[in-house]
Amino acid sequence: MKTEFRMAIAQFPCKIGDKTSNIKKMEDFARYARDQKASIIVFPEMSLTGYTTRDLTFDLAEEVPGVSTARIAEIAEETGLYIIHGMPERSAKGEAILYNTAVLTGPEGFIGKYRKMYLPTHSVFEEKRYFRPGYQMPVFETELGKVGIMICYDIFFPETARALRLQGAKIVICISASPATRRTYFEALTVARAIENTCFLAYVNLVGIEDGLQFWGGSRLVGPNGTLIAQAKYDEEDISIGEVNYEDLRPIETFVPTLRDLRPEIYDSLRNFSEEL
Amino acid sequence: MRLTGRALRIDTSAERKITRFIRDYLDKAKAGGIVLGVSGGVDSAATAALSTSAVGGRNVLGLFMPEEETYSKADYRHVRLLAGKFEFELKTIDLTQIIAGVCKAIPDYDKQDKISKGNLKARTRMLILYYYANSQNLIVAGSSDKSETMIGYYTKWGDAGADIAPIMDLYKTQVRQLALQMGIPHSIAQKPSTPALWPGQKAEEEIGLQYETLDLILYGLEHFMPAEAIARQLSLPLATVLAIKTRWLQTEHKRQMPLTPKLQYRTINADFRVTRTVELE
Repeated sequence: MKTEFRMAIAQFPCKIGDKTSNIKKMEDFARYARDQKASIIVFPEMSLTGYTTRDLTFDLAEEVPGVSTARIAEIAEETGLYIIHGMPERSAKGEAILYNTAVLTGPEGFIGKYRKMYLPTHSVFEEKRYFRPGYQMPVFETELGKVGIMICYDIFFPETARALRLQGAKIVICISASPATRRTYFEALTVARAIENTCFLAYVNLVGIEDGLQFWGGSRLVGPNGTLIAQAKYDEEDISIGEVNYEDLRPIETFVPTLRDLRPEIYDSLRNFSEEL
Repeated sequence: MRLTGRALRIDTSAERKITRFIRDYLDKAKAGGIVLGVSGGVDSAATAALSTSAVGGRNVLGLFMPEEETYSKADYRHVRLLAGKFEFELKTIDLTQIIAGVCKAIPDYDKQDKISKGNLKARTRMLILYYYANSQNLIVAGSSDKSETMIGYYTKWGDAGADIAPIMDLYKTQVRQLALQMGIPHSIAQKPSTPALWPGQKAEEEIGLQYETLDLILYGLEHFMPAEAIARQLSLPLATVLAIKTRWLQTEHKRQMPLTPKLQYRTINADFRVTRTVELE
């Protein structure tokens, strides 16, 4: 297992519904990342299709693994990278059972997927109209250690990152499609989640304008003490490379031992409290 | 799902639901009646019939607005027939001079650009309708049908400019059925459709499909059918179905308020969710 590696965070404006074009973008970025000696590259939420697909989501969703993930696997094999990207997924069990999914692919092929648990349905968001929420919070074994994945609104719920960290993920990756009015929230939360879990946190956000919604980009890699390791541009297509070194965890964990000091019994109470809202 | 004419069959409940809708809207808007453009075509004929059925002929004002390039005696005859049958007030307003005046006033007016001039005519009709609406407290009833609205075959802020659109959820072939059900003569119900923006303009020629086929394609798209399945069922080239699908998707800008960048907490046309028929205390 590598304890030190370079991670690429890549943001680009998607063409809504044009998977071929979006995959080509991912391929170009992956080749660049390979040339920069990265081991992993991460793309935003719904980067296969664009975010505001609305009723077209039914047309565009695919089974995972499926046609598009096979194409991504080719890119992963060619470049030797781990690749994370977002896409709408259709269950094999029903035509209207869709998920907002993040897919992890490696040089050996498809590794796994995470289905977004918290589906925003407020303000400009209408994800519950189209997607079923996910029910699992897996971590994935890779040569880069255990990797945890979450998507966008998931980050507003501290228990999501906590669950991934408690399963041993020292890097948590949050892919996102956040419009500009939410930037300050994400910039605070990405740092908070990294600190409270003493983990690396990569946040990769969409960029570009879809149906009047401006996605702010600003993708970032945050260290376990909240410092910014890498930051992509705001509002523009960009790729940024940052170094992850798991050896940094010991001095930080000993300085702020949040995991050691966890009180598991509180989680039972949390359940009761949250049911009584 | 089978894409046959049977799928598009309507029954008398459509008439009932639409007239109830019109009556309800007028009450909530506290308006004195309806004004609509009548052209002699099936869409405006059906809208006129539905309006008079809903609120009574004396509360409906039909405006026949010809202009010299596209005037048809047959259309005028049909409009008078409808006014007589459904007992609504009919006024004729000749737009020729208005349109000529607007064209003359535009420094870059190009008489070869028939589309821009044609759209100007549709928007002029809208101006006149809203004059009557404002001055007499009337509601403008549009006559757009679902086929034309879905593929964007209308003038932005022109013929689609209205307060209500009673038949916008009926495909053209369904509007024809409804028209016949309501006693509109066959000669009007089955008349070839035209926006009449320039002489000789025929809708089905321009669209490249008969409405009987177009409506089934659109019905399939409405029901989330893949284009391949639609093409297979209708024995059409896939390219034909995809062309209609593309046209539908690329004209969404015509069916909504102008796009605006989201800058603030709630944005018009994005995340304000306010009903259009609110009744406050």
